[in-house]
Amino acid sequence: MSNDYGFQEEEFTSKFNGGTVLRILAQVRPHWRWVAGFMACIILVAVIEAYFNLITMRIIDQGILAGRPDVVRDLLIQYALIWVVFCALIFSFIYLTGVLGHRVQYDMRKKMFEHLQALSFSYFDKTPVGWVMSRMTGDATRIAELVTWGILDSTWAIVNVLTAAVFMLTINWQLALIVIALLPVLLGVALWFKARILAQYRITRSTNSKITGTMNENIVGVRVVKAMSREEANLTEFSELTDRMYKSSFKAAWLSALFLPAVQMISALAVGAIVWYSGVNINNEALIGGLTIGGLSAFISYIRQMLWPVQDMARVYAEMQQSIASAERVFSLMDAVPDLVDQPGATDPGTLKGDIEFDNVTFYYTEDKPVLTNFNLKVRQGETIALVGPTGHGKSTIVNLVCRFYEPKDGVVRIGGQDYTTMPMHAIHSRIGMVLQTPHLFSGTISENIRYGRLDATDDEIIEAARLAGAHEFIMTLEKGYEEQVGEGGVLLSTGQKQLISLARAVLADPEIFIMDEATSSVDTLTEALIQQGMDSIMEDRTSFVIAHRLSTIRKADRIIVIEHGQIAEMGSHAELIRKRGHYYNLYTQQFRQELEEKYNKTLDEVESIPA
Amino acid sequence: MSLSTTSAYYDMKQAIADNRLVGLWRMMAGLRWKYIGATLSIGVSTLAKTGALLLLSTFIDTLLPREDVWRIAPLVALGFIALAVIEGGFSYLSGRWAAQTAETVARRLRNYLFDHLQRLTFAYHDKNKTGELLQRSTSDVDAIRRFYIEEGVGIANILVLFIVNFIAIMTIHVPLALASVVVMPVVLGISFYFFRKVSKKWDDFQNQEARLSTRIQENLTGVRVVKAFARQNYEIDKFEEENWKQYLSGRSLTMMHSVFWPLTDVITGIQMIGGYLLGATLALNGTITVGQYIAYVGMITWIIWPMRNLGRLVVQTSTGLVSFDRVMELIREEREPLREGEAAPVDKVRGEIVFEHVWFEYEPGNPVLKDISFQVKPGQTIALLGSTGSGKTSVMALLPRFYDYTSGSITLDGIELREFPRRFLRQNIGVVEQEPFLFSRTIRENITYGVGRHVSDEEVFQIARAADIHDTIMSFPEGYQTLVGERGVTLSGGQKQRVALARTLLKNTPILILDDATSSVDTETEASIRHALQNLVKDRTTFIIAHRITSVMHADMILVFDKGEIVQVGTHDALLMQEGIYRRIYDVQSRIEDELEREIASV
Repeated sequence: MSNDYGFQEEEFTSKFNGGTVLRILAQVRPHWRWVAGFMACIILVAVIEAYFNLITMRIIDQGILAGRPDVVRDLLIQYALIWVVFCALIFSFIYLTGVLGHRVQYDMRKKMFEHLQALSFSYFDKTPVGWVMSRMTGDATRIAELVTWGILDSTWAIVNVLTAAVFMLTINWQLALIVIALLPVLLGVALWFKARILAQYRITRSTNSKITGTMNENIVGVRVVKAMSREEANLTEFSELTDRMYKSSFKAAWLSALFLPAVQMISALAVGAIVWYSGVNINNEALIGGLTIGGLSAFISYIRQMLWPVQDMARVYAEMQQSIASAERVFSLMDAVPDLVDQPGATDPGTLKGDIEFDNVTFYYTEDKPVLTNFNLKVRQGETIALVGPTGHGKSTIVNLVCRFYEPKDGVVRIGGQDYTTMPMHAIHSRIGMVLQTPHLFSGTISENIRYGRLDATDDEIIEAARLAGAHEFIMTLEKGYEEQVGEGGVLLSTGQKQLISLARAVLADPEIFIMDEATSSVDTLTEALIQQGMDSIMEDRTSFVIAHRLSTIRKADRIIVIEHGQIAEMGSHAELIRKRGHYYNLYTQQFRQELEEKYNKTLDEVESIPA
Repeated sequence: MSLSTTSAYYDMKQAIADNRLVGLWRMMAGLRWKYIGATLSIGVSTLAKTGALLLLSTFIDTLLPREDVWRIAPLVALGFIALAVIEGGFSYLSGRWAAQTAETVARRLRNYLFDHLQRLTFAYHDKNKTGELLQRSTSDVDAIRRFYIEEGVGIANILVLFIVNFIAIMTIHVPLALASVVVMPVVLGISFYFFRKVSKKWDDFQNQEARLSTRIQENLTGVRVVKAFARQNYEIDKFEEENWKQYLSGRSLTMMHSVFWPLTDVITGIQMIGGYLLGATLALNGTITVGQYIAYVGMITWIIWPMRNLGRLVVQTSTGLVSFDRVMELIREEREPLREGEAAPVDKVRGEIVFEHVWFEYEPGNPVLKDISFQVKPGQTIALLGSTGSGKTSVMALLPRFYDYTSGSITLDGIELREFPRRFLRQNIGVVEQEPFLFSRTIRENITYGVGRHVSDEEVFQIARAADIHDTIMSFPEGYQTLVGERGVTLSGGQKQRVALARTLLKNTPILILDDATSSVDTETEASIRHALQNLVKDRTTFIIAHRITSVMHADMILVFDKGEIVQVGTHDALLMQEGIYRRIYDVQSRIEDELEREIASV
């Protein structure tokens, strides 16, 4: 179950907006032949449908009433031949429209996905994953349907009404005018109903997502519910939701049930009017009110033929409104501009080896909350820097700036003496290795996940990297070894194991700058030792930044930087800072106690092994 | 029809039946006449629809040739309108009643399942996944709803249409009627085959869609990794692969549809043209009238349409019935009786608890508690210490009867625990869990969750202060009205625990169980909570499940657990005097400071 059930999709419909409509249509421009194809098919289908009624009329008038079996035979042969064409056309339009729909979806998803890859971090900071997901799934589908079935349905409807009107006019123009006069009434009634039905659907849908959310929470939190004896109050609250759901969906249902008869009534009025007219104006045996018997029957068929499209138009129109709203959201995604782009003339220096320097760097995520202000730091090539300090004081920001996931708002970051904004983004990212606090793995095998570090690595190189990272042993204990699936997001592995794999991934990438955000959650002693080993092997001779939580890591760093309020509060080696008895000293002793206590907690589990 | 039977609540256990259709019938308790009415209305509506065709035929054959047709014509016109009113009116009634039945049953099911789930035992919830339960109580319920509104009435509609029109044609000419249904077996066969196939293809398509979504989701949540390794192109290629597969799957689904519809069109076309030929020939030689021929042309449509759609409905029905089975499986589970129990709830629980030779096992043959015995006097604070899995949490799960002990005896104020209704126990025992769960409501609603009475702001503030969370809450822009969770603030582990603590304290229970309630807060906060708690636990029987010596030192009694047994009992001082686990643990702790001293000195 997705965990974003609470993410309420604002469902809005937009008025027709010329620009958006044109842009939606532009989605099918590369496939205009397909559109032309299915439109030609559907126009022919509509015309043929109308023509069939004409044949039926002729069979009656010119065949049966005239007593001419040969005419009946000829007309039916004609009918059969056109029927074959008709079936072929049906095949073609379903195929063309359906396939094109899937194709347009494919195209749009591809475009969106590629665009997303180019967007900067700041975009993902403020855009929930669920939002993007619905743009790429539901909204893409709706747009694709608009440019395929939407166009098809409206073309069919218009042509159908037009041909029926033309055929009726040729049979008897006075009667035809009576019927045509009813069309606007029909359309009005249809729209009136659709608006009301849709409004109820909307309530139903949003209530439904609340019901699912409440249900989900009550299952996940069932321990609390029971402990708090809140069963009855919960049911009362919940039944308010189901009540609302009942009311809106019942109302939508009976409105729909009323809609059809209402439309049919109008057509019955038309039929009644024709019968009346023909009966009252009788003056000739074969012609009733200027209408033949076959003509009368054809008229009734044409009325029915006009009825469906008009009724259908209301549906298509409502869907169009929704699709346009969808399109606006999709386009807003496609139009999002990456904050960070390569500057013209950016050149790849070939290496990131060299000193890294923060020169008067100021940075903020939102303007009123500066994270770093006039920050200065110089890191020598090959140095290992441990960043320590309280959460939310700028450690991660420094690391993000080194990686150029963000750029300084003011000031310069230099790598090897060169302002890094004069380098292409790829030159930096491809030479950085990163291990995150909560390591992200992709579903697939362990070996695939390690290979992510370097795509052309051989299996031996992967094993070598895993060895260096200290991951090999635990991988070999798994049933399928390197071919073991990690599950979606790596759920089948523990945090410690995920971190070992992401270390191996970074080792394989052989980066020039290494970044590590240590996990705060505790891992078992053995895994911790392995992680330490992996880190040691990767940090050797590499410029490394570690957001450090463990004493062992901190002590080994060449330089420790205590960050507080976006400033360097203290800086130096472990021994220097301990002697200073300042911020670092406090952090260290606190951490020391905590770690030992943790160790002692673990010994609770292995209590027998403690020497008395 | 009494109000209670049509109401939103119905004991679904009564719908348990061997036959699924019987079960579905029982679920409609109180609505059955409505549903039968819905089905009958479809019939009336269809009769009117066919009646209009017959009226047309009569009009043409017998009325038009008459001299006074100008007088009759308006009547006929009114007849058409009247038939349309009947057709429309009954089709409306049918839709309305069917919807009422379906929606009421769905509401009953939702309410029942919601309540059912919160009343199933802990043991059941331990075994079953949330997603699975959720699916049964949402999408499966929806499938059942659709069964009533679409398939049930839909199949009736199709059958009535077919039969009425078939009989109508029979009255015109028997051989013509028989000739009109010759292709029926073929069309039905193809239709069944196709819809079964297509529903499988549709599943494939949905599964591929799910894979595609997973790819997008992983890419988005892993955006840091993607960027850190500059793997955008690789990601695009991988996405392309799934996206293309999705397109191919959609294309083959479309292909099936684009073959099925014209194929049945060809077959029914042969049927129709053959029918026209036969009909026209009969009309030419005077066996049937022109009017009858025209009526026939109209009726044949209503014979062909059902043939093509029956397959779809039957296949849909089978998925609806699968959902019914899945829901019933859930409904068959036994609920945990909350009010059952003979002990008349006393006014006030004193909190004297005695465990005597208590054994407990989650799975038979695998005891997690072995022969547990201890006594607690009202108002005492008891600490439970031990490693993970030593049984200390399980002991505490027995008190509110989250689980029932296997053998032995537990008494509360001298009465066997089993004699108390669960509801009563839970109202008198407050529990703060190790990883507390908060609901996506406001913080205030979370704190007042389960109190069951109006609580003044002042009282909420006071409790929050006691749990040392008031200031944190006030620092949020919306204070106590801040939503917890995705749409609101994300609270840290420590903050969640303190909100949960406030929630439990507000219940003001004579017995309190704190499971490691201070493990994920920093030392300072812990001290302030402990201070606040000291006042609050004074008159209550309190159990503290602890991992730190500091949280057990002041307890009146410490129970040391190991492998499901109590290995040591006593106060801190007494335990220190003994040789055993407790002292060894304590020794380790005192070593910390020594080591720190040495560490600092060595620099």
